[in-house]
Amino acid sequence: MPFKYYGGVHPDEMKQPDLATSFIAQPPQVVIPLQMHIGAPCQPLVKVGDHVTMGQKIGDNDAPLCAPIHASVSGTVVAIEPRRHCVVGDLVPSIVIENDGLDTPCTDLAPLTPEQLKDPDAILDRIREGGVVGMGGAMFPTAFKIQGGRGKVDTLIINGAECEPYLNGDHRTMLEHPEELLKGIELVRIAQGVDTAYYGIEENKQDAIDLLNSLNPAQYGVVIVPEKVKYPQGAEKMQVKANTNREVKPGGLPSGVGCNVVSTFTCWSVYRACYEGRPLIERVLSVGGTAIKPANVMVRFGTPLQFIIDQLGGFTRPIDRVVLGGPMMGFASFDQSCGLIKGISGLLCFTEDENRDVENPTCIRCGKCIEVCPMKLQPIHMYMYTLKKDFDNMAKFHVTDCFECGSCTYNCPGRLPLTPTFKMGKAMIKAREFELKAKAEAEAAKKEAEK
Amino acid sequence: MEEKMLYHVSGAPFIRAKTDTQRIMLDVLIALLPAFCVAVWQFGAAAIIRVAVSVIACVFFEFAYRKLMKKNSTIHDLSACVTGVLLVFCMPAGVPLFVVIIGDFLAIVLVKQLYGGIGKNFLNPALAGRAFMLAGYAGLMTTWAVPSALKTVVDGTTMATPLTYLKAGEALPEYFNLMDMFIGKVPGCIGEISTAALLLGFLYLLVRKVISWRIPVTFVGTVAVLTLIFGKSGYGNVEWMLFNLCSGGLMLGAVFMATDYCTSPVTPKGQLIFGVGCGLLTVLIRYFGGYPEGVSYAILIMNLLVWAIDKATPQRQFGISAQELKAAKQAAKAEKKAAKEAQA
Repeated sequence: MPFKYYGGVHPDEMKQPDLATSFIAQPPQVVIPLQMHIGAPCQPLVKVGDHVTMGQKIGDNDAPLCAPIHASVSGTVVAIEPRRHCVVGDLVPSIVIENDGLDTPCTDLAPLTPEQLKDPDAILDRIREGGVVGMGGAMFPTAFKIQGGRGKVDTLIINGAECEPYLNGDHRTMLEHPEELLKGIELVRIAQGVDTAYYGIEENKQDAIDLLNSLNPAQYGVVIVPEKVKYPQGAEKMQVKANTNREVKPGGLPSGVGCNVVSTFTCWSVYRACYEGRPLIERVLSVGGTAIKPANVMVRFGTPLQFIIDQLGGFTRPIDRVVLGGPMMGFASFDQSCGLIKGISGLLCFTEDENRDVENPTCIRCGKCIEVCPMKLQPIHMYMYTLKKDFDNMAKFHVTDCFECGSCTYNCPGRLPLTPTFKMGKAMIKAREFELKAKAEAEAAKKEAEK
Repeated sequence: MEEKMLYHVSGAPFIRAKTDTQRIMLDVLIALLPAFCVAVWQFGAAAIIRVAVSVIACVFFEFAYRKLMKKNSTIHDLSACVTGVLLVFCMPAGVPLFVVIIGDFLAIVLVKQLYGGIGKNFLNPALAGRAFMLAGYAGLMTTWAVPSALKTVVDGTTMATPLTYLKAGEALPEYFNLMDMFIGKVPGCIGEISTAALLLGFLYLLVRKVISWRIPVTFVGTVAVLTLIFGKSGYGNVEWMLFNLCSGGLMLGAVFMATDYCTSPVTPKGQLIFGVGCGLLTVLIRYFGGYPEGVSYAILIMNLLVWAIDKATPQRQFGISAQELKAAKQAAKAEKKAAKEAQA
């Protein structure tokens, strides 16, 4: 029985879980940014003019917090230059590969041997070499997460909530590859060194829960935990609370309370890297919104967004917004020539109909933001003080502890831009800390010089 | 390139719940409908005319003020309509129209718009408007028309309300029984007479999640508990409690006035304190005050405390246990004390 937590909202699901994962034609060119994870950017391992095979490692970095990047198609490197990153928005060094259409596979990574499949370190090494990152959106290198949790983590939680509206990638993976998924979870569990993995799945995926349970998950050390349907059930802290009743400390990580959370698609990627020797080069993308025909498609990383949209028949109605990821925590896209990256789970094309913003947002002090905040913060006050740049009160009302789930903003009848303001506030606090630190250092240096 | 710039770029989330301010205000108006029906049943056209005039006046004043001050128009959010209805709901059915209109002006312009409009005022506009009118036109504001249900038993056109008898500690006349007071066959302000109709509105607001149970339940609960404990000579304790719950503006105040978003606390804990405070003050005024009715002043006084209550009842953050919070508070206190001693 999962544990309850405070707050949360119930947006319309808008999901299309019955659409089987389809494949689209491969793009003539892919644009792969050298930064598809949190941590140090990769250095290119290839030169312009090199021929690369599908799955060949083309970028890496020796820094501990990093995940290597692989070619998602076979072909010729035609450029290594700054290109726009679809989430960051800045120009980021990227590798452009001209697709030869052959998908010649790379054989650098062999499937692990049965002995290796039981060796935690061999699995961990393969997870890193396979370029696996958190596919829920954070893109945190999975190997680093597992390694960092060793010795601290006693409970492994697999995140199958997929609580954001429109998204079906995890649900489709459960239905289409249940056995591989369970095997992938087993690998993560072995690498983490725990006996049981709790697999939290929202009850709106009952067919997937039944299917997984029919495969005897216990033999893989997996326990399925059906969870209440509520956004943001799939947030890390909420998953930890729901499965273990432990609360992650403000500013802390799940490993601080002995938990690690790994997402569904990540586990399947681990399976493919270990059992098949296939690095992470593609993912299921849920396409939705009123301006496009809904679909769940398998897409290679680096595929330009416009190419995906065109392959699916283009916009069916006048477009207002293109959103990457879920509608609650995703990003607005402003340049459809960017290549798809690892953490993007959805491509949503919205018309004016979905836009409920107003010209003059007004707080009516209804307190509904407080009622839904899963972190039990007070968005109404955080908003007020952030706009005033009152740093003392911003700290007092814990602006930095907001994890930007968007529940308050979704629920706000006055249509205030709460979450975007908190994002700005967090950036302001960071910039100020940096400034104060620089100032203090300069003063210390001055004093030193005076002596 | 140009086409790309047409895309609307903003921060997440990209979807919003259907309920906006206008919908909330519409829900409040719908919740007031049963009480309005009872008012029309008991006071006839007089009720319809006063409600209509009040709503039109409020919307006009809000529109005119915002226009004059060159601010964006806010009449579409329907909050002015709600103020108009609520203000006239706490006036007697026979009150002259000029009193209604002056009350509307004070409520909308003085209490609401001068402080910045919806969400910024610190007093409930309808109640403040009523308080001004009660001070300015005490006679007109306490002259009660005879409801149609009592026309056959009462001579004349005006009569005393049950609350007047309760205040004086006199036994209620025979034609006031508890059931009639619950249904609304009694004299009183236009919208307050029917406890049943107001409870129906309360249920609707709860189902629509416009308000939470916290303020109305703690408010009415406090009044119930206190009147049950202290009673009054000449009445049975339970009887006295039920009379108190079904008379005056208690239900209208607890369901529609005290829950006004802008003038009630935003924190759940604060809402509980606010409700208890309103109930306590209501009972105090009903027992010891000069007026028979204490609901409106109780709420107005608590309105002034909202900011302090909000500050005193912060949410306990996720990940912080009650013990940890207590320890942190004690540590902060000890630190302050140490700093003081060091200064001394």
